[in-house]
Amino acid sequence: MKKRILIVGGFHKAQTLARSFLEKGYDVTAINKNPLHCRVLAQMSDLTVLTGDGSKPFVLEDAQAENADIAIALTPRDDDNLVICQLCKKQFHVRKTVSLVANPEKIKFFYRMGIDSVVCALSAITSIVEQQTFLDEFTTLLPLGDGELRISELRLPATSPVIGKTLSEIQLSRDVIIATILRQDQPLVPHGDTKLLAQDVLILIAAAKQEAASVRVLQGK
Amino acid sequence: MLSIHVNWLGKSKLTVIVGCGRLGSTLADQLSDEGKNVILIDQNEAAFRKLSPAYAGLTLVGDATDAATLKQAEIERADHLVIVTNNDNTNIMIAQLARECFQTPHVICRLYDPQRECVYREFGIQTICPTALSSLAIERLLNNPASLNQTGQEGGN
Repeated sequence: MKKRILIVGGFHKAQTLARSFLEKGYDVTAINKNPLHCRVLAQMSDLTVLTGDGSKPFVLEDAQAENADIAIALTPRDDDNLVICQLCKKQFHVRKTVSLVANPEKIKFFYRMGIDSVVCALSAITSIVEQQTFLDEFTTLLPLGDGELRISELRLPATSPVIGKTLSEIQLSRDVIIATILRQDQPLVPHGDTKLLAQDVLILIAAAKQEAASVRVLQGK
Repeated sequence: MLSIHVNWLGKSKLTVIVGCGRLGSTLADQLSDEGKNVILIDQNEAAFRKLSPAYAGLTLVGDATDAATLKQAEIERADHLVIVTNNDNTNIMIAQLARECFQTPHVICRLYDPQRECVYREFGIQTICPTALSSLAIERLLNNPASLNQTGQEGGN
């Protein structure tokens, strides 16, 4: 059976998401309070559109929320999103709920309230901008566990103080490990006696808190 | 900015009210008249104009869905939290925040639409629904027209 996705609220975000889900072959239903938005959304063929307040149980019932595999709340209000996801979860037994949250300080609270996945546009955008700013020297490849842990890539400049030293000689935090070294694009398994050379690319797995300090040690800035 | 002195509050009970609409302001006035400690939160400073000049509690301008605002309102010391903003979802979220993050012992929440019960049932939140209360009162009047005068007097003060 086709996977069913329910999108509640959001106009442009709902539009883009619905289009992408439909292309991938999912069955998509969108709920929106605003009749004008609904009219625009309804122009998408194959998309089921419902006008109504998705934080009300009878609207979710009309949208057959009980058959949905995933529910996504995209309204601009945190409280609405929270109630939508909780209703989907508790009353309609939707397997997975995803919520947008405006205030980054509420991310943890939302997880505690049983939302499966919480997305904060503000923190996502700021972290991308931050990453792009230092793109040439340092890139986060993959944030893990809510961004607490990161896999990142760092190219050693010729000016780095650690060049010529072995790994056992450099002082890195215990929360950082060098997972692998790419030397002229060849992967190298690092050991204590591995000497670092200029232009080596280090793949780091680091606790987000310790990352900046290790970058300073490795780049000498 | 709000500043509270422990001496002022002493050890007596503290009630935090969120939302200074008709219900919030009436309740705050009443509790304050009874000599209770009240802190009233509303996003909009103008809302506090509804309070009587005799109101002796505190007011705080802020968004109560924000944990920082609740903290500022001494939620950690509060014995009762009454949430009466005009948005049900806001009320539910504040109630959950208070129960989960601050372990507020007693939370009362006004909800216009009681249909979302499954969302807050497990949190130990007391709810009141104006529609249910009104319909109950009206039904009582319908069943017993003789009580009309008494109720009319009660409502007229």
